[in-house]
Amino acid sequence: MRHVRGFDVARPISISVMIGIMLPLVLLPLLSIFIYGTSKGLGTFWSSLAAPEAIFALKLSLITSFWATVFNVIFGLFAAYVLSRYEFWGRNAVIVTISLPTAIPTAVAGFALLLLWGPYGTLGRLLNPQNAQLMFTPYAIILANIFVTFPLAFGVIKPVFDTMSRSLEEAAATIGATRWQTFWHVTLPSLRGAIFSGALLTFARAVGEFGSTILVSGNLAGRTQTAPLYIFAKFNEGQIEAANAIAIVLALLSFVIFSVLFFARDWLEFETQEV
Amino acid sequence: MIPKMSRVPDEQHDSSSAPLVHETRPNIAASVKGISKSFKKTRVLEDVTFDVAEGESLVLLGPSGSGKTTVLRIIAGLEQPYTGRVILHGKDVTELPARERGVGVIFQSYALFPRMTVERNIAFGLKIRGRPWKERKETLNRLLKLVQLEEHRKKYPWQLSGGQQQRVAIARTLAYKPQVLLFDEPFGALDAQTRVHLRREIRALLRQVKVPSVFITHDQEEALELGDRIAVLNNGHLEQIGTPDEVYNHPQTEFVATFLGAANLLLGVVTLGAIEIGTARVPATEETRKFRDGQSVKVVFRPEDVTLSKDAKLPGACRRLANGIIEEINFVGAYERLNVRLDLTQRQPAQNQPPLYEVTINTLERMTGIPIIATRPKPEASASKFNVGDRVAVGLTAFSVLPNYTLVGGRVNRALEINR
Repeated sequence: MRHVRGFDVARPISISVMIGIMLPLVLLPLLSIFIYGTSKGLGTFWSSLAAPEAIFALKLSLITSFWATVFNVIFGLFAAYVLSRYEFWGRNAVIVTISLPTAIPTAVAGFALLLLWGPYGTLGRLLNPQNAQLMFTPYAIILANIFVTFPLAFGVIKPVFDTMSRSLEEAAATIGATRWQTFWHVTLPSLRGAIFSGALLTFARAVGEFGSTILVSGNLAGRTQTAPLYIFAKFNEGQIEAANAIAIVLALLSFVIFSVLFFARDWLEFETQEV
Repeated sequence: MIPKMSRVPDEQHDSSSAPLVHETRPNIAASVKGISKSFKKTRVLEDVTFDVAEGESLVLLGPSGSGKTTVLRIIAGLEQPYTGRVILHGKDVTELPARERGVGVIFQSYALFPRMTVERNIAFGLKIRGRPWKERKETLNRLLKLVQLEEHRKKYPWQLSGGQQQRVAIARTLAYKPQVLLFDEPFGALDAQTRVHLRREIRALLRQVKVPSVFITHDQEEALELGDRIAVLNNGHLEQIGTPDEVYNHPQTEFVATFLGAANLLLGVVTLGAIEIGTARVPATEETRKFRDGQSVKVVFRPEDVTLSKDAKLPGACRRLANGIIEEINFVGAYERLNVRLDLTQRQPAQNQPPLYEVTINTLERMTGIPIIATRPKPEASASKFNVGDRVAVGLTAFSVLPNYTLVGGRVNRALEINR
C-alpha cells in the first residue's frame, strides 16, 4: 500500500483523545443542562424563566455586574496609567495588592467584607447609627463583585500601557494638547481593545459570582438573590426545572461573551500592534 | 519682565541668563544657552550653546551617546536642563511645558496617531486649539497640497509608506505654525535609497516654508547635505559649529576632523612658519600663525586633498609633503583610493645642537615610513595611471593644523594615527 504523503496517524488519534477527555469533564455537563432544560418542552422552560423571582434574579445579576464592571474598568484604567507612568516607592507592592483578589477564595472575600461592613464590622458600625445597612443589600453584591473581579480589567489594560510608545503622548504634547486632551484623543483610542476585553472579562466573571455573594447578600429571594444564588436555592428546594432554566441563560451568556472575546481577537490585536 | 532663575541655580549662568533675552538679535529664531544636563551622575551635556537663525537649518551631528537627542528634547520641552536657557524668538521658554512652546517635533518613529486618518492627524493641532472649522479646512487643504498627500487624506498611518508618514508628521506640525521644527534622526528608519531621496524632498520643502529647523543625525553625509550649518557634538560637548565647508575643510578639533569623513593625521612641530613632520618640512605661514615655535601640533588633511605626482613636479597650489611609495590601489566607485607610505622618518637633531623638540615615532613606522590615504577622482585616475610600487611625490592642497595637547612636554607614543 502506498504511503499517503503527509498523513500523520498521530493527528486523528491525538485529537480524538483530547476530545475524549474533554467530553465527560466539560462538554457533557454543559450539554446536559440543555438536554434536561428542553426535555419537558419549551413551555416549561419559558414558564420557569418567566417566574418573577427568576426574572428578578437575572436582572439583579446583570445590574450588579454592570456597576462592578464600570467601576473596575475605570479604576483599572486609572491604576494602569498611574503604575506605568510613575515610578515610586512601593510600586510593585501596589501591583501585587491589586492582583491579589484573584488568589483569594471567594468565600473568604465575602467573609472579609462581612467583617468590615457587617452590622458589627469596623466600618459597618459607623453606618448603624444612621440606620444604614450595606450588607444584605444589592450594594453588598456590587462590593463583592468589585472585590473578586478587581484585577481583571487592570490586568488586561496595564500591559498595553506598558508597551505603548511614549512618543505618541510626547508628540501630542508638542502639538499643544493638554494632558487631558492627550489622554482623550490619543491614549484612550489606543486602549479601546484592552478596555473592551477587560470589561467583558470582568462582567462574565461577576455574573457568575457565587461564593462571596451568598455570604454578603443574605440570599433573600426577590431582594438580594442573584442568578447563581437562585439556581442554588431552587435546586435545594427540588425545583430542578426552575434552576435549570436560569442555568441555561447563564451558560448562553458566558458562551456569547467568550465567543466575542475570541473572535474579536484579530481586531484587538490590531489595536495593540499600532501602539 | 522678571528674569526667571535657572531651575538649579548655577553661578556661571545666573548672571548671564536675564540680559541674554534682550541681547538676542531679531533674526535669531531659537537659541540654546549654556545647557547642561546630567542623568543620575552621568554628565550628558556640558555647557552647550548655539543659535538657529530664521529660516536656517542646523544639523546636530554626533555619535550615539553624544547627547544630541537630549539637546533636541530640551528645546522641545520634553526634558528640563539643569542649567542654561532655551530662547525661542526672543522669549525665554525654559520653564514652559512642551505644549506651550509651539515647536514641531518630527519623531524618529513619526509618532502619528494610529486611530486618526491623515486628515485628522494634520488637523489635530488646530482642533485642540479650538480653531473654526473653516480655518481648519483651509489649512488642511493647503498642507495636504504642500506635502503632496491629497489622494491619501482618508488613509490611516499604517496604510502609508515611511516617506509618506514622515510627510504627514511634518504637515501635522506645520499646521500650527511652529516657531522651530525639530527632526529626531528623521531618516533612521528608512533604507539607504529612500533616505537620500527623502532628505532632498525635505530640504526643498523647508526652503518653501522657511521654518527654522534643527536636525539630529549621526550620518555625516546627511549632515553635509541638510545643514546650512553643522554643530558637531561629542560626549555632550559642542566641538565645533559652522557651515558644512567650515567644519569639513577647517575642522577645529581632531574629533571633528575624523568624525566628518576620512582624515589623515600626522604629528608635527611648528618651526619658523613651517611645520616639521619627521624629516619633512611643510611651509605653512597662514596655518601656523596661532602657534608658537616649537609647539607640537597635529596636521589633519583629507584623502582628496592629497596630490600625487610621478615626476617630482607638483602643481603650484599644493605644498610638498614628502615622497612616498604606492602600496595599494582600490577602486571605490566614483574614485580611486591609494595607500601611500611616506618616506618620513624621525628627524635626527643636527650635531652639537640640542633637539628642538622631542617627538619619537615608537611604532613600526619609525623604520618603514608613515602610511596615508589618498583619493583621486576618476578622470584624474585615468589620465595618469599609477601602479603599486610607484614612487611618487606627495603634496597637500589643503590641511588644518590643530594643537596637540597630548604632547605637553615629554615623549609621545602615538606618533601617528590614521582614520579611514
